[in-house]
Amino acid sequence: MRSYLDFIGNIGLFALRAARRVLVPPFEFQMILRQIEVAGWKSLPLVLASGLALGLVLALHTRTSLVQFGAEAEMPAIQSLAFFNEIGPLLAGLLMAGRVGAGIGAELANMRATEQIDAIEVLSMDSFKLLVIPRIIACSIALPILTVCMDVMGLAGGYFAERATTDLSIQLYISRAFHSVSWAAFVPPTLKTAIFGAVIGLISSYLGYTTDEGAEGVGRAATNSVVISSLAIILIDVVLVKAIFFLFPETAI
Amino acid sequence: MNGGTPPAIAFREVSRSFGGRTILNNVSFEVAPGEAFCLIGRSGMGKSVTLRLTIGLIQPDSGAISVHNDNIVGMDEEALSKVRSQIGFLFQSAALFDSFSLHDNLAVPLKRLREKKPDEEIESIVQKSLDDVGLGKDGHKMPAELSGGMRKRAGLARALMLSPSILLVDEPVSGLDRVTASEIDDLLLRVRKRDNTAMVIVTHDTREARRIGDRIGVLDNGHLIAVGGIDELAKNENALVRALVSEAQ
Repeated sequence: MRSYLDFIGNIGLFALRAARRVLVPPFEFQMILRQIEVAGWKSLPLVLASGLALGLVLALHTRTSLVQFGAEAEMPAIQSLAFFNEIGPLLAGLLMAGRVGAGIGAELANMRATEQIDAIEVLSMDSFKLLVIPRIIACSIALPILTVCMDVMGLAGGYFAERATTDLSIQLYISRAFHSVSWAAFVPPTLKTAIFGAVIGLISSYLGYTTDEGAEGVGRAATNSVVISSLAIILIDVVLVKAIFFLFPETAI
Repeated sequence: MNGGTPPAIAFREVSRSFGGRTILNNVSFEVAPGEAFCLIGRSGMGKSVTLRLTIGLIQPDSGAISVHNDNIVGMDEEALSKVRSQIGFLFQSAALFDSFSLHDNLAVPLKRLREKKPDEEIESIVQKSLDDVGLGKDGHKMPAELSGGMRKRAGLARALMLSPSILLVDEPVSGLDRVTASEIDDLLLRVRKRDNTAMVIVTHDTREARRIGDRIGVLDNGHLIAVGGIDELAKNENALVRALVSEAQ
């Protein structure tokens, strides 16, 4: 129990250190752009494919139930609400925790094990500012964009599933999909993924940057980054959903 | 010290423990400007820890560490960064940045530390440094493409990019064949002769210590049990010191 509390305390201190340093120059814009490419651009194929597949599957499942109640016309609206509110943000977050979190944890742990982080310090550079801050910022910028891409692909998957069984036009599908979606139902859930991204970047960076187990620590940092980041964003999601319902009551169905 | 010149490095009663185990216990020594001081001893006796303490990568539990008369113990990051800019560090693994080419590894210190230099000038300095260590045609290669000896030479070139007055070297020839090891030693000797750089060299290779070091220190069980020239140490009353030094003779 004590080790869990220690871990949470250390993550908190690490987050405080990051919060203090993020506004202090030099701003590592090149590193941030490079990390956005790694976290965002290189994750795009996985997110697009997952969104499309999940959109198809969700539509196939919901259609069966909706037909029983004669409500199949609501399928596009259900698809859009499901993706915008929860599936898009949470799945994009979990995919990023898996792909990017593991990468950050392993990369930083490897840099620690091979003395590259010490070499940065020895060259009078701030390794925390150079390695940790850009990764946290990049994850929190990339994840909302990936979430929008996942939402779009989820809707596309839903359309393809619908199109396979009916003659529904794309215009009508889009019209029905967005009919019951307000900005309040789209913007807050999408923006909450910036917090997911920051949490993934923070936890993975912490586990990689602070490891002191040599080569063994690389694998452990990668695995723990995925497990702990995924768990953290699921737990934080619960809190954020309640917060969004409180701030935007019209989004609570 | 020589005629009142402050030492390049001074340890005064420095102690450091890890997990309840004392690695250094009241260790004191000085290294003069331009002097090569070799630290030898069995594994796990605190040789590399001494280097890390010297550059402030870790802090001692007690004692004082001075670099050119500045006590670095408890120094803030900004001041420590200035002290570090006078020190080059060749890591045991060379610690080249995996994601940068050899050329970019060497360019990093120039791009980040000095007043903005034109790219052409940085290019010329990097190329000259690569030529100096015999890697003039390998600048485009990634660290993973280099042999152990090439990595060490590249690490040495990077450590020297800012013309440091002190060079800390951690096991420069470990894992290298005798010929390559001799090439690295030649490079260190050349640097010392050319730039009058003070050096602290941690090594297991007592032949290397004999060849490069002006003085040799022997660390054992947290204590600096002997310091002196190789002939002096060969007559030391401690059997371990004599055994270590006899390998070099």
